[in-house]
Amino acid sequence: MLPKRLDILLQVQLSGHMLLFSLYSEIHNGVCVCVCRISGSSGTLTLKCKDLRVLQLDIPGMEQCLNIAHSIETLSCLDRVSETYPFFYRPPDLSLQEPWGLSSPEKYFNHTKELHGSWRLSSVNREYSVCPSYTTAVIVPKDVNDDMLVKVAKFRQGGRFPVLCYYHQKNGVVIMRSSQPLTGANRKRCREDELLLQAVIDTSDKGYIIDTRSSQQAQQARMTGGGFESKSCYNNWKRLHRQMERGKALQESLIKLVEACGDESHNMDRWLSKLENSKWLSHVQTALSTAGLLAECVERDGHSVLVHGSEGTDSTLLISTLAQLIMDPRCRTVEGFLALLEREWVQAGHPFQQRCAHSAYSHTRLQQESPVFLLLLDCVWQLWRQFPLALGFSETLLLRLATEAYASDYGTFLCNSDQERCLLEVKKKTHCLFQALLRPKEREIYSNPLYEHTELAIWPSVHPQSLQLWKGFFLRWTKQTRHLEEAQEEIRNMVIEWGRLVLS
Amino acid sequence: MEFAELIKTPRVDGVVLHRPFMPTVEGTLCLTGHHLILSSRQDNTEELWLLHSNIDSIEKRFVGSLGSIIVKCKDLRVIQLDIPGMEECLNIASSIEALSTLDLVSLMYPFFYRPMFEVLEDGWNLFLPEDTFKDLESMTDEWRLSDVNKDFSVCPSYPPLVAVPKDIDDDTLRKLATFRHGGRFPVLSYYHKNNGMVMMRSGQPLTATNGRRCKEDEKLINATLRPGKRGYIIDTRTISVAQQAKARGGGFESEANYPQWRRIHKSIERANVLQESLIKLVEACNDQSHSMDRWLSKLEASSWQTHVKEILTTACLAAQCIDREGASVLVHGTEGTDSTLQVTSLAQIILDPSCRTIRGFQGLVEREWLQAGHPFQQRCAQSAFSNNKPRQEAPAFLLFLDCVWQILRQFPCSFEFSESFLVLLFEHAYASQFGTFLGNSAAERAKLSLPEKTVSLWSWVNRPQELEHLTNPLYEANSLVIWPSVAPQSLLLWEGVFLRWNRSSKCLDEAYEEMVHIIEYNKELQNRVNSLRRQLAQLETEDPLLQTP
Repeated sequence: MLPKRLDILLQVQLSGHMLLFSLYSEIHNGVCVCVCRISGSSGTLTLKCKDLRVLQLDIPGMEQCLNIAHSIETLSCLDRVSETYPFFYRPPDLSLQEPWGLSSPEKYFNHTKELHGSWRLSSVNREYSVCPSYTTAVIVPKDVNDDMLVKVAKFRQGGRFPVLCYYHQKNGVVIMRSSQPLTGANRKRCREDELLLQAVIDTSDKGYIIDTRSSQQAQQARMTGGGFESKSCYNNWKRLHRQMERGKALQESLIKLVEACGDESHNMDRWLSKLENSKWLSHVQTALSTAGLLAECVERDGHSVLVHGSEGTDSTLLISTLAQLIMDPRCRTVEGFLALLEREWVQAGHPFQQRCAHSAYSHTRLQQESPVFLLLLDCVWQLWRQFPLALGFSETLLLRLATEAYASDYGTFLCNSDQERCLLEVKKKTHCLFQALLRPKEREIYSNPLYEHTELAIWPSVHPQSLQLWKGFFLRWTKQTRHLEEAQEEIRNMVIEWGRLVLS
Repeated sequence: MEFAELIKTPRVDGVVLHRPFMPTVEGTLCLTGHHLILSSRQDNTEELWLLHSNIDSIEKRFVGSLGSIIVKCKDLRVIQLDIPGMEECLNIASSIEALSTLDLVSLMYPFFYRPMFEVLEDGWNLFLPEDTFKDLESMTDEWRLSDVNKDFSVCPSYPPLVAVPKDIDDDTLRKLATFRHGGRFPVLSYYHKNNGMVMMRSGQPLTATNGRRCKEDEKLINATLRPGKRGYIIDTRTISVAQQAKARGGGFESEANYPQWRRIHKSIERANVLQESLIKLVEACNDQSHSMDRWLSKLEASSWQTHVKEILTTACLAAQCIDREGASVLVHGTEGTDSTLQVTSLAQIILDPSCRTIRGFQGLVEREWLQAGHPFQQRCAQSAFSNNKPRQEAPAFLLFLDCVWQILRQFPCSFEFSESFLVLLFEHAYASQFGTFLGNSAAERAKLSLPEKTVSLWSWVNRPQELEHLTNPLYEANSLVIWPSVAPQSLLLWEGVFLRWNRSSKCLDEAYEEMVHIIEYNKELQNRVNSLRRQLAQLETEDPLLQTP
């Protein structure tokens, strides 16, 4: 398979640097592995991309081929963020003056009038000194002052003290998220932390803490300085442990799955056992069922919930996001969903740069890579598949986001935290993906033609039989999905034509 | 025999019906000769009408004096009836058991069913071999319609009329029928009008261990080749299975005697293996444990998807030989009534766009399954829940439908019918008020006088109000050959059948309806635009002032 466009681009690159950067966006950023094979006087370059595409370039001339391979390898693993493409991407139809981002804790607080009674917006983190991975403003209980927050932050890993991330309009119950308390082996306590959590449940009788580790893992964490909220110190809170896979295990699962998807042995048993061995679908199931548990605590039981695992930047965000999609219809539109991602992932401090440095094809030793965000998108896709009318966006948006998180023209997924982005002036020097996706032309592509607003919670089935491999992503570059895309295109065209006819 | 003798308790009040994803219904349970009926006697609740022949197995459970009957149906539905009173419950259970295992075909419901609709076209006359042959005649004169089997004496499983090469006379056919398993001599299955190549099917040759030959057989098979052309024989068994068949009198065509033909062996499983695979698959689908690993390993262990892949692969091979290699093909396995038909019918779906229409697909099922002698009655006597020892049961037809579904899923715009048509055929093959799938062959159907005494499924399907539910709204006629992907990653479990009763399809159905609605509205608006354009054009010609300068 030799895509024509890339072939031409490469030729252009060889004759000058005019198109260096357009090539850059096209490949370098997204290249995971570049394999060079020389036979005779011509060489073949195999590029394995982060979006799981595999490209092959036949290049005449051995030396040229080696040079190109070397250049691509160097360019694709540049370490300095400020040298990456988003800082150079200047499309004619976008201006750097346009507003950046859709949502923020401030906006969420201002829009949610019901919060104003017992919650406040704290700027204790304005210098990023209390918690480097939080935004400058966070929503906390009104009765807890900034001095207390500083103390609580010292008691939580990475300074991630409990903050509000969701207010459930129907019953006034909230979801909080944080990192693990640093109780350590000697069961340290923090009075302020206990007071803060007490202030959350206020007059109601109890709350839930959903710990995304098994209780054994949580016990073990005490040896390394971490821990959990003990019953005796937080007597109004009931702790629920749910083991969710994280870090390396998740990355290895993705690698195995992608390997299975690329298997060409044409053996059904082998495919099914490889699929099973990868455990990816088990991770999808666990994520969805834990999110379902969280949503049940809030919507059905009517109790506030605090979610955390260890660092509070991965599985915690995964389930708080999914729970909001399940319960809150406002998160299910294109804007609502993007705003949710901005609040719960970008601003909440998911370290995108570390987590998405490599995708499934990389041979380099794994460091901080982990496909948590991809797992989220997969879970959202499962929701979308089970409730085709309830979500305002289509699979195309999920696919676009999956691609952008790993290699992008935009600055949205750069860096690991708000602080880093602020330091590099990302908001001034790059364009915002979320804003770009909402331009009318783009929005049309990403909206779900069948969308019908529903106020109801959408409870996904988490039976193993109900969950499927996300073919659109994992088998995207194989031939058989093409016809399905055609069918979707067909529906889309019809809806667009319909819209036009209604207007005329 | 009177049905009344079998019905010990015809009526019980206060029965509670549990169905998955539906509210429970309390009402009166009635048993008739052919139906189990539960009615709540309220206007807005649906009644349950279940054909006894749809019941695969039943289980009884007792808690105190309350008995429960769990009814497992051939369409894979599982329902529970709570019956007050131990004796009533036992009576009902034994009556259902007796009524659902009636052996006599002439007592089956189709013989008692009277249509409540107006028959626009009699389905029994829709797909007669002589009419099908007329189409062939317009394309080629190399074939003739032989009535050598008019009294079913040459081949009991063939229809009275079959298409054979023009140069082969009836005496030759009679001779070579003795050389093929079950008398199934090679007949025409499909003529590829793009290049004039053909697909034939037959039973295995009876060469046995001593390498018996039959000159007439060789003559017939060679007569189908154009000068200088080679052909392919696709044997649906592996070479070792084919070798073993010799010991039982069967065999295969040796290169020495059929020099112009290349034999290819594939491995499509048959009979018992398939039935067990179905049982395992359905068991896995109903597994309530929430373990992903367990589900995937059970799915794998059932091997169902492997069977789907093997069949599709073989069908693609046959289609490739014809369309890409420009060669004629003969397909057979052992008897030529199961895997052979799966391959020939799927190859036609791939090659022939007309088989992808609703009418064309009916014709295909009629030609390649019913008239070709697939023993429906034996194969579909039991489904996945039966506790009886399987005899001749095999889900060969269901596998065929599954394969069609896979192609339909890969080419969502190329089929005039939707998934629901395939599901409907599955249901009716196992239990039906129509006579179409009764009997094992054309001979048996003739003997039972089905066309006179029962209604054809096609008579019911081919009415506008039914067709509406079965039409694929995305259909756009595609005259090309469609090549499905057979990579394991491309084949999915057919949820519409296997998970149909374990999931709530409400949301999916709504989405589907919404889509249909949009498409219809779109058509309506397009028509309006067209008529407005016409009006405008007319006005312009009438009034020169309106014309643009």
